[in-house]
Amino acid sequence: MPVREEILERLNSATKSQNVDRPAKPTLSEITLNREQMIQRFESELSGRTGVLYQAGDKEDALRILLDIITAEGLKSFVASSEKIHGVDIASLGSKNGLSVTIPKDLADRDSLRDAAFAADAGITSADFAVAETGTLGLIFNHNHPRLLSIAPPLHIAIMSVKDLYPVYENVMEIVFKDTKKIPSQFSFITGPSATSDIQGIEFKGMHGPKKVFVIMIMQE
Amino acid sequence: MKVSLFIPCTVDIMMPEIGVAAHTLLSNLGMQTIYHKEQTCCGQPLFNAGCRDEAKRVAKHFIEVFGEDECIVSPAGSCVCMVKYHYPELLEDEPSWHKRACGLAGRIHELSQYIVDVLKVTDVGAKYTGKVAYHESCHVLRGLNISDQPKKLIAGVEGAQFVEFDNSTACCGFGGEFAIGYPEISEAMVRDKAANFIKSGADVLLLCEPGCLLNISGYLHRNHPQKTARHLASFLADNLKKV
Amino acid sequence: MHSHVNKFIETAREELKNEPSQMFLLMVSLGAPILRQIGMSSFPDIAAAESYSRAIRADVIARLPELLEEFEKNAKARGAKVLWAQNAAEANNIILDIANRGDVSYVMKGKSMITEEIGLNDHLIKNGVEVFETDLGEVITQNLNLHPFHLVGPAINVPPEKISEVFLKKGLIKKASTDPVELGGGARKYLRDKFRNLQMGIVGVNMAVAETGTIINVENEGNIRLIKSSPKTLVAIMSLEKVVPTIKDAIYMTRMLTRNCTGQKITSYVSMDTGPKKPDEQDGPKELFIIILDNGRSEIYRDFKTREILKCIRCGACLNTCPVYTKIGGYPYGATYCGPVGQVLTPMLAGIESTADLYRACTLCGMCKQICPAGIDHPSLLLSYRARQIAIKNQKGKKTMQSRGENAMAGLISLGMSHGWLWNFGLKITRPLMNSLAKDGYIGNIPMGAQGWFGCRDLRAIPSKTFHETWNDLPSLPEPSGNASKKEDS
Repeated sequence: MPVREEILERLNSATKSQNVDRPAKPTLSEITLNREQMIQRFESELSGRTGVLYQAGDKEDALRILLDIITAEGLKSFVASSEKIHGVDIASLGSKNGLSVTIPKDLADRDSLRDAAFAADAGITSADFAVAETGTLGLIFNHNHPRLLSIAPPLHIAIMSVKDLYPVYENVMEIVFKDTKKIPSQFSFITGPSATSDIQGIEFKGMHGPKKVFVIMIMQE
Repeated sequence: MKVSLFIPCTVDIMMPEIGVAAHTLLSNLGMQTIYHKEQTCCGQPLFNAGCRDEAKRVAKHFIEVFGEDECIVSPAGSCVCMVKYHYPELLEDEPSWHKRACGLAGRIHELSQYIVDVLKVTDVGAKYTGKVAYHESCHVLRGLNISDQPKKLIAGVEGAQFVEFDNSTACCGFGGEFAIGYPEISEAMVRDKAANFIKSGADVLLLCEPGCLLNISGYLHRNHPQKTARHLASFLADNLKKV
Repeated sequence: MHSHVNKFIETAREELKNEPSQMFLLMVSLGAPILRQIGMSSFPDIAAAESYSRAIRADVIARLPELLEEFEKNAKARGAKVLWAQNAAEANNIILDIANRGDVSYVMKGKSMITEEIGLNDHLIKNGVEVFETDLGEVITQNLNLHPFHLVGPAINVPPEKISEVFLKKGLIKKASTDPVELGGGARKYLRDKFRNLQMGIVGVNMAVAETGTIINVENEGNIRLIKSSPKTLVAIMSLEKVVPTIKDAIYMTRMLTRNCTGQKITSYVSMDTGPKKPDEQDGPKELFIIILDNGRSEIYRDFKTREILKCIRCGACLNTCPVYTKIGGYPYGATYCGPVGQVLTPMLAGIESTADLYRACTLCGMCKQICPAGIDHPSLLLSYRARQIAIKNQKGKKTMQSRGENAMAGLISLGMSHGWLWNFGLKITRPLMNSLAKDGYIGNIPMGAQGWFGCRDLRAIPSKTFHETWNDLPSLPEPSGNASKKEDS
């Protein structure tokens, strides 16, 4: 008998446990947050992880903020998920500001993408969702948005719309996993920069993933 | 009202004064105490060691001895746990014994819980001038969910000042065969317990578990002889106001 | 599974004297409960939150085979290759096979206890495939060849000097340092190119979602995300109890996992993969292999009593609250899993007969059971192992505990405990014997057995009368109202 069948048979032939009804699912305190409170909560959680939130009035404001971050951090080269992210003209960083911007669509193959992502100073990506509960971003990865952009470079800048801010993870999961046929090949929750406390319990940021995370939240809907 | 005393083996042999104290307290509260002389032990040491056949034998004897009693009270939380929760498990495969064990489970009480919850008494008429700390034994606290009751009895002692101490709910390191089989680990645990008690400035450490008492007082006697631990029942009985 | 439980007592003794270990354990025992409390504070009703996660895990156990089949079906529908492995050897060979077919010279791994349990690294290395651990704690334990000190922080106790020494030797750093940031930075740099050029990655699975065929990993460092993004081939290996029914259950359990584990509300990354990458995607695995591993779990499942061990979500909360673990750390447990989870799991994987210390070095204090978000009753399991050990010994004619002498003791004691007159008689004989050793009312040591007690404790001398013997002399005490209450024999 094939291994699979053997294992399943052993499990199936075991005495059945009695399954009991689940108790009521406990409520989370975040569920009642209004937008104002969500933004506040998102910000305090994110900054607690050393992430930084900028609220941009509109997409032009967002571009200005982006340029400020780039100047402050001394960034020169980027990988960006697309030429326009939530309307923000990322391509102009290259064309107008003389910075090096690589868009994955323009790359021939996986190896070129890997080279670009690992070489870039920062990854600029959209964030599809944000969760106030813990200052978390939700990113769908697909052909429009490769995975490496937000994990390989030492800095991650995420651009999002305030309308995609939700109180708790479940709100987001409901949307992303609603249609089983449309579930993305990868969906990730990202909360602040990469970190570890594996040595002596002393925490530091930027173990393998980004050391810094910036979130630009566009308030205009 | 009648109350049948279950005096555990450790109390019977090593600390009979705790049994006397339990009898005194209950009598004072108007209870008629019964003591079945055939009683010996609940079998917990055997059960914990893994000797289930032997433990079964002892459990059956216990059920025979106490089987008819409406109300059984004992000054030892772990023994009450043994009877309440492990007797039915132990006798699972013998339906008539199992039934008797289940019946018994509902009729056995730990002493402080009995006095406070059933007799509705928190002031037993004791007086003590000094600071008192309370160690929350594992089976009393986590096994039987008893915590308020001993504290209420302590609060009811005229003049006694209740003092909190660090990690009062941590295990003292007794664990029966554990203290003998893993002495260094046990020592590390009881050392912490003693240190926290002493740090609190309390004059005496009270508890509701004879096993913990043997462990903690044995350690204190060797290492900090000026400090004492006592069973709550002994403490209350010895400090009763003279009428 | 490899285990060195036979060195439990010896290693425990060493660890009790090891200052850096003791310092960490103190930090863990003091800090962890506070962190957990903070992490759980989002739930207005913590008890309700715990009940719910326990119910989810109980549901998984009740429907395990059905959920596994559902998971497999949905994962395959999305293009994942689902393979089943009976035991360590099979799983190791499947993975080696995949590596050989891809002609890879090295693999990179996320922290995965199941891979440690099966000894995957050794198998791959022996067969010519280099293995790079990537989780910093694992990088350290791999290089120093250590067992894990803690479920979640396997090298958290290791002094930076030791790390510096080995990192210098292996070329992870260019000059010695005791700064964790520099040491971590060295590991990051060392592994960077390897991530970029990676052809095959191996990860464990925190949760496998039956409803959607999704595998979920939680991490803080980002190594798992890199491993799931960079190479063309990804192997995810899970023991069969990692399945959860729905995506909603999964996210709920993720909250409970992180908050019970380190107190963090959530880890930096929670990545959820459903099948390999789609054809037009530029990164992510082309081939996703999911290995469902048994390695003794189906037997654990078939045993109705031990089945609940499979509820474990590997959060490590039990370690943090265990009064024994927080005195001795992970090394004495001698296996992949330490603390209470190790105590309940390892005997079932490595055998009852060789793991006695794991289920006997426990005071049954119940802290683990109280905190477990999965609802495991560790003390009850340990008690059952003790009984099994005795039953095995009886069967083999070896009879209880250590020796025939102790067996005779147990029998005698139970006989004494079953007959009041024998009890009292036995006492009358033992009492003077014991008390002959007493000084000033206390016994400081006895020549026969139970030496462990007297190492740090005295024992009050046995009183001249037992309670049995005192009963008849007890006065009937007058009630406050003046009516004499009665005491009654029977």
